[in-house]
Amino acid sequence: MFLKWRVFTTYIIVYIFLFPLQNIAYAAVDNTYLAELIAKSRQLGLAERPMWQKLGHYVPNLVFSGVHGLVDNPQFYNAPDGKYNPQSELEATLASFYSDIEESNEQQNPQCLFIARFAWLNHQLAFDQDRLPYQKCARYQKWYSALNPSGLSLIFASAYLNNPSSMYGHTLMRVDAKDQDEHTRLLAYAINFAANTNESNGLMFAINGLFGGYPGAFSILPYYVKVREYSDFENRDLWEYQLNLSPEEMDRVLMHAWELGSTYFQYFFFDENCSYQLLSLLQVARPELNFTNQFQWWAIPADTLRVVTKQKDIVRKVVYRPSSATTAKHRLKQLADSERDIVRKLSIQDLKINDPMLSALPDERAAAVLEASQDYVSYRRLTEKNDVVDSSMLARKLLKARSHLNVISPSLEAPVPETHPDKGHGSSRLALGAGQSKSNNFQELQARATYHDIMDSDNGYIRGAQIESFSINLRHYDFGETRVERFALIDILSLSPRDEFFKPMSWKISAGWQRTHSLNGTEPLAFSMNGSAGGAWSNEENTSLWYALLDGSSQFNSNLGNGYALGAGASAGLVFDLRSSWRIHGYVRTLRYFLGQLDTSSTLGLEQRISLGKENAIRFDLALSSKLLQNYNSFTLSLQHYF
Amino acid sequence: MKKIIMTISLIAALPTMAMAADNVGGCGVGSMIFKGQSGVAPQILAVTTNGSSGNQTFGITTGTLGCTSDGMVNSNMKASLFIQSNKDQLARDMSAGSGETLAALSHLLGVEAQDQIAFNRLTKDNVETIFATEEVIVALREVLASDVTLSRYQTAL
Repeated sequence: MFLKWRVFTTYIIVYIFLFPLQNIAYAAVDNTYLAELIAKSRQLGLAERPMWQKLGHYVPNLVFSGVHGLVDNPQFYNAPDGKYNPQSELEATLASFYSDIEESNEQQNPQCLFIARFAWLNHQLAFDQDRLPYQKCARYQKWYSALNPSGLSLIFASAYLNNPSSMYGHTLMRVDAKDQDEHTRLLAYAINFAANTNESNGLMFAINGLFGGYPGAFSILPYYVKVREYSDFENRDLWEYQLNLSPEEMDRVLMHAWELGSTYFQYFFFDENCSYQLLSLLQVARPELNFTNQFQWWAIPADTLRVVTKQKDIVRKVVYRPSSATTAKHRLKQLADSERDIVRKLSIQDLKINDPMLSALPDERAAAVLEASQDYVSYRRLTEKNDVVDSSMLARKLLKARSHLNVISPSLEAPVPETHPDKGHGSSRLALGAGQSKSNNFQELQARATYHDIMDSDNGYIRGAQIESFSINLRHYDFGETRVERFALIDILSLSPRDEFFKPMSWKISAGWQRTHSLNGTEPLAFSMNGSAGGAWSNEENTSLWYALLDGSSQFNSNLGNGYALGAGASAGLVFDLRSSWRIHGYVRTLRYFLGQLDTSSTLGLEQRISLGKENAIRFDLALSSKLLQNYNSFTLSLQHYF
Repeated sequence: MKKIIMTISLIAALPTMAMAADNVGGCGVGSMIFKGQSGVAPQILAVTTNGSSGNQTFGITTGTLGCTSDGMVNSNMKASLFIQSNKDQLARDMSAGSGETLAALSHLLGVEAQDQIAFNRLTKDNVETIFATEEVIVALREVLASDVTLSRYQTAL
């Protein structure tokens, strides 16, 4: 009995460890030919070629020489040391092509599983079909003909601050089909890279995502599913960059997508994220393309878009797809005030559908009013404003009323923003400045890793959406001290204007180190966490945005009385474009610290930015502050460079 | 950590799970869609957001998920999946007699150019019937069947 058990466990262990090998049963390996192929591959140095490096997702090691593969599914590499050794991986891959695995729903022959590698190696080594029999790869062929591809588009979804996983934006790839045109693009397929997790808490997602806590994988799904998600649920505008690729280049990408479709990568929020992996897929299109080597520490979606569009002649056409909310806002703007009033009342059931105010309108106007109401009602339903008794009944009534009008409405598309998202200012910033604080002169160096603040030009960015991450200010004072003035880990501000129809909340959240004042007369660098919530309003021309927020603040440093300070207060401000290149921000903020080191601090400030072209700007900041019963002034004049 | 292991094992288990889901009147994702509650669209969409469950999205090479093969929606499911995922937009387009979603549906149903005006007309006139209940596909099929010229397009549903 005991012996039997041992035999059994041994069998299990052997089975577990040999299982991968068992899968690759080599029926009729032509060893001579395989040796020939290997010799030739060495002679040609195929393993060092960029294409092999890209297909294996090899990147140089950070410290030591050599490379490592980024794919974390061990089955992606055929050789035991394939993740670290492109040469042995290449040879093991050649050997695997002799596998006699029959294709089924569960498994594929290596020639099909690694179809891009097979195609490329075949191109380089010109396989003799008699000595290396080709597999049919029926599943791939079926997939390919279902895609019916005519081209690829790179899709950019604009920033969405309300979800940390997509606050910088997102990119995906669309496979455009031969029988589709601009009106039926919804039916295309989208290839998307995302972290696989059930985590619904955005913050937990961001934290885990920072450290590679989730596996990331490619998936393919109908484009309309992504459009509904971004356009309707998250109100994000989409930009569709149709790429200019030859059929061969497109096929290379699709073959590689097929290879990646069954594997996974560790997902890292900053560097190996959705946009980075999408580039790693796209760059196999041409041997000379290398997009990913330009991203060492972080890959911001807009920047990944930039490296692609920087390639000569790679973009054929750019199509803007405004979100449902953008479209609805635009259509509401086209209505007369009285018509807008009807829309609003209809949508909250303050007005019956057979009201004379509506029936008195000519058919064209009534149609526009009803369509706007439909848009608005579905926006309210999707954003879960459930204050209407039976919103689906209301939606049906509007539907019916509209269908009784025999007019075709002109399509009122929201205007395309002047600056495309790949044409905005660079997402990193360096600034040199000088100024005075409490009558002490200083010189300042400021460096920001990412990405945009409300004083920067909005061209190519979302208005009112600020994300600063890893931003540091170093100051040298004339009295001899050089010190860190501020180091922001993260500073997010979302100012979304409210109007009679749309009532989003504006908010702010920040964490980092900031100089503050202590009762003992020092200016310690306190760790601070702040949060705010409130509202913002805009004028119709979108040249001014004013806001009012309730603020909470916490500061921690041993030099503070009791070691901390906890406060609450309010702030208000106006961001105003005097010209498109000249922005002014005036604000007032007061905070009452009621726990820890007690204080009432107030600031009245004025900030100005004048753009000098796209990548440079002059900033002039002025502040009058009162802290710990002391009043003082400060100002900084700086020259900023974006890159 | 547990969660990660769970997720990875879920991914690894996909092909077999998919086979198991292949029986109930269609497919895994599909059967979820066809539950027919008002909140279903958010449900489908919820699983596709940038950081969500891998076992619900269409992987690329994960065998057959019932309504998809290697991520491609099976042809007999194409129109139903489209309608269920785009209900609000489709209703709006049909009531107005034009729009992108309506154009895409016409394409899926194979509506020929000479029938397009009649198709838009018929769906506009019957929009209330079509969207009266959650059984939009059944209703649309009946509406199409009632029209001599357009009845042939119901086969794609």
